[in-house]
Amino acid sequence: MSESESNFKFAFYLGCIAPNRYPGCESAAIKTCKKLGIELLPLKGASCCPAPGAFGSIDLNVWYAMAARNLVLAEQMKMDIALLCNGCYKSIWEVNHKLKHNQDLRDGVNEVLKEIDMEYKGTINVYHIAELLYNPKYVGPEKVRDSITNPLTGARIAVHYGCHLTKPHKDREFEDEVMLNTEHPVWMEDLVAALGATPVEYRNKMQCCGAGGGVRGYDLVHSLDITNEKLINLKEVGVDALTDICPFCQLQFDRGQIEIQEKFGVSYNLPVLHYCELLGLAQGMSPQELGLDLHGISCEPFLQKVL
Amino acid sequence: MMTEKKATTKKAPSKKEDTKKVAPVKQEVKKAAAPAATKAAPAAAPAKAVSTTPEGESRIGVFICHCGTNIAGSMDIEAVQEASKKIPHVAYVDNYKYMCSMPGQTVINKAVHEHKLTGVVVAACTPRLHEPTFRTATKDSGLNPFRFEMANIRDQNSWVHMHDREGSTDKAIDAIKIAVAKAALLQDLHPKSVPVEKAAMVVGAGVAGMQAALDLNAAGIKTYLIESDMSIGGRMSQLDKTFPTLDCSQCILTPKMVDVGRAENIELMTWSEVHEVEGYIGNFDVTIRKKARGVMTPKEAEAKGIVGGGCNGCGDCENVCPVVKPNEFEIGMKPRKAIYINHPQVVPLIYTIDFNSCVKCGLCVTACGPEKRAIDLEMKDEFIKVKVGTVILATGYDIFPIENKQEWGYKRYENVITSLEFERLICASGPTGGHLVRPSDGETPKRVAFVLCAGSRDNTGIGKPYCSRFCCMYSLKHAHQIIEKIPGCVPYLFYMDIRSFGKMYEEFYYRIQDEGAKFIRGRVANILEDPKTKNLHVYTDDTLLNRPIDVEVDLVVLAAAIQPKADTNRTRKLFGVSCSMDGWLLEAHPKLNPCGTTTAGVFLAGACQGPKDIPDTVASAEGAASAASIPIHMGAVELEPYFAMCIEEKCAGCGMCVNLCPYSALALVEKNGRQVMQVTEAKCKGCGTCGGFCPGGAIWMQHFTTPQICAQIDAFLLGGEQ
Repeated sequence: MSESESNFKFAFYLGCIAPNRYPGCESAAIKTCKKLGIELLPLKGASCCPAPGAFGSIDLNVWYAMAARNLVLAEQMKMDIALLCNGCYKSIWEVNHKLKHNQDLRDGVNEVLKEIDMEYKGTINVYHIAELLYNPKYVGPEKVRDSITNPLTGARIAVHYGCHLTKPHKDREFEDEVMLNTEHPVWMEDLVAALGATPVEYRNKMQCCGAGGGVRGYDLVHSLDITNEKLINLKEVGVDALTDICPFCQLQFDRGQIEIQEKFGVSYNLPVLHYCELLGLAQGMSPQELGLDLHGISCEPFLQKVL
Repeated sequence: MMTEKKATTKKAPSKKEDTKKVAPVKQEVKKAAAPAATKAAPAAAPAKAVSTTPEGESRIGVFICHCGTNIAGSMDIEAVQEASKKIPHVAYVDNYKYMCSMPGQTVINKAVHEHKLTGVVVAACTPRLHEPTFRTATKDSGLNPFRFEMANIRDQNSWVHMHDREGSTDKAIDAIKIAVAKAALLQDLHPKSVPVEKAAMVVGAGVAGMQAALDLNAAGIKTYLIESDMSIGGRMSQLDKTFPTLDCSQCILTPKMVDVGRAENIELMTWSEVHEVEGYIGNFDVTIRKKARGVMTPKEAEAKGIVGGGCNGCGDCENVCPVVKPNEFEIGMKPRKAIYINHPQVVPLIYTIDFNSCVKCGLCVTACGPEKRAIDLEMKDEFIKVKVGTVILATGYDIFPIENKQEWGYKRYENVITSLEFERLICASGPTGGHLVRPSDGETPKRVAFVLCAGSRDNTGIGKPYCSRFCCMYSLKHAHQIIEKIPGCVPYLFYMDIRSFGKMYEEFYYRIQDEGAKFIRGRVANILEDPKTKNLHVYTDDTLLNRPIDVEVDLVVLAAAIQPKADTNRTRKLFGVSCSMDGWLLEAHPKLNPCGTTTAGVFLAGACQGPKDIPDTVASAEGAASAASIPIHMGAVELEPYFAMCIEEKCAGCGMCVNLCPYSALALVEKNGRQVMQVTEAKCKGCGTCGGFCPGGAIWMQHFTTPQICAQIDAFLLGGEQ
């Protein structure tokens, strides 16, 4: 299948966890998007988004200023931002939205940015890659389906939506209104089905993974308790893998299972993959290219099923 | 110079009534509500000849109301009074605390006599509230009531400029100048009396429509009762028991249904809907679409020459029909055939064919037999025109599509049902013979959760912001039924409040508490399904225990919000009735006129005006019937005399105005060898379209004449006459 022309160019905001813990997500995103007509270009000099729960809990002004700096880097590239993490989405998209609508906030942020010769102008937009993949304006499930060479037939895959992409509902706007659904969305299941896999519903799929809001850092055991509840529900329906659209959720489920084994004494051995990694697999990328051997929980059982 | 009093014989004054005319088909009523005080006058007095100058000198009295502190608190009444004395044509100025009171009106009366006033201006509240009051006062003082003009210095002045005393005062003076300029040019006008057709129409035959029709029938008034379903009875027929008496709903309703069926003056038209409406109060021309039933009543069969034929409800046809569909009356939980009745107690007992699913195999025709020959598969819709004097809308309610509140999983989880589905399941004549069973496995539940305020009191934009009024009470009733019918089964009511407002309702609440129902105060945040057992986990914040809880139950019943019935929007527009912000039909006044509308001759009964339980529904139906019967009994109503008039000397007969009139009130006629325009006064609403357009200035808009309007503009811009 020939590579399509790059219709869309975005500045690729990497965040922290993907490049440092799951670099396969980064390479998968770049290569799969290229195949689907989206070019992800490096956003040089970007810092941590900053982590909204951790930084936001301590000092909102720091949160606004650091996020604004990342936005200005993209403004200087004259390019919209694409990212693959819910937490980064909250920081980058929400701060962009707030600064565009609140002059006082803008002035305050620009005071700080002046010290490093930067100015936030509000000229670019921010997108989550999952959003770009779902919206037919950019890609859409049909094009995703047409792009794959290795359908994940027979694989039962559950979706973890995470929290910060769509919530808080009142502070979100999307080009595709389907994405505004916070109670029972099914659009990620459509994207999973486009890979040839079988999406599986499970009890309380919209529950948080437990990591965000600074909880993983502050109180690991309680965060794992929340994760454990989700794993119990996933076990109840029996799935081959869990997919997510947030590397932090991925970390919580992946490393979290090792920690749950240590602290609670229970094992699930459930492979956890970011949707970009799944898409990469389905488009024929090798597990090595995707860095799947760097995962905490072995993806072997899943790979044996789909490869 | 005072105008001469007209000596008229009057009938006893009838109840104050809204005589705003009704817009015809597809047009909204153009004027805002202004309940006009009218009495049913005898012969109509003809409009006086048009003259462009008032007879003699104008002497206008200006009466400024304090309205307590409503007006006096915002502006300087003294200053307004002083300034008013200087306005041209003003012969007398006074002020009083409450002009609308008896002493206030006496002030007007005295002043008219002592100062020989020719017109009255009251600067006070809005004409929507007191124009009738002051028109009457003007009339009682001897002047023609239309020699009165009101200046609104409250709603559009003192109430919105409470912190600008100077601005408010200046604005009031301007308003009075404008009113006086018009008052100086007002003329005597005489309301037109139109006869009222001695017939009424009730749209909707649930308990509200049925009660209204029965009352009208008892008053000797011919009543057309139109129902879009195949039987009368409405929602009450679907209920099992009624709170707080726990009467069987259909049992108490059936006598009323039978009465309706055999009432002398009620012409019952089921499987019919209102198609088109023309006319106005006293003279509504309504076209009814009698949908093709496919089955003839004995009367219809006889009309076709089939003696002793027609449907007798035997059901032989139903037995042989091969098409099976979900029964809407049973909310899809029981099957019906393409030829069917809703339930054994339908009135009229005539089968109906659902032509959307009928395959025209003809087996039913054969089964019906050569003697009854009741089935006509080629039957077509029929349009029937009737003339009525007044109309009552009683179109009822639907359940809100509660699947839109996705957190509760309706239509996703099998064991989450609505309260109406619960009624059918617990009803002995329902799909399970009265056995409450879980949809997923047919088992009897041991624990049932009731989610109150499901979709009501919801300002997220998805549900309804209002309270649906009767759900607390029926949920208590449901809890009772569970405790009574299923020993050991526990009902859990998740509530915000228990609104047991009516007679014997609070006592009913004590009873249910004593019977052992469990009450948890908290809104249900989320419902999750156990994929194996299909049990539901109900999550809420128990606000009395102050902690979040998870209650596992076998069955969840959502006390879903209600909304106006689907077809209401179409029907109300035909009659020119508005709806309020919450979607329910708009009453004339929420406190003082809940059964009327701002469209004269059209009334509201039952839940279509807002959520109601059965006692309130029946009460409102009786109120509507009483109001609807008054114009019919009085025989005539007065229409306000705001008609257009043609100044024939100036009319060129071009006919362009005729096509402009939204109410088809104008026509060209031959007079003295030439074409001139003529107004059908009863149809004219005084909207002014023709008057504003006429290129020759040949149309005179009574009570809003061009000289009057110009004088008002001049008074404001130039400070006086030109």
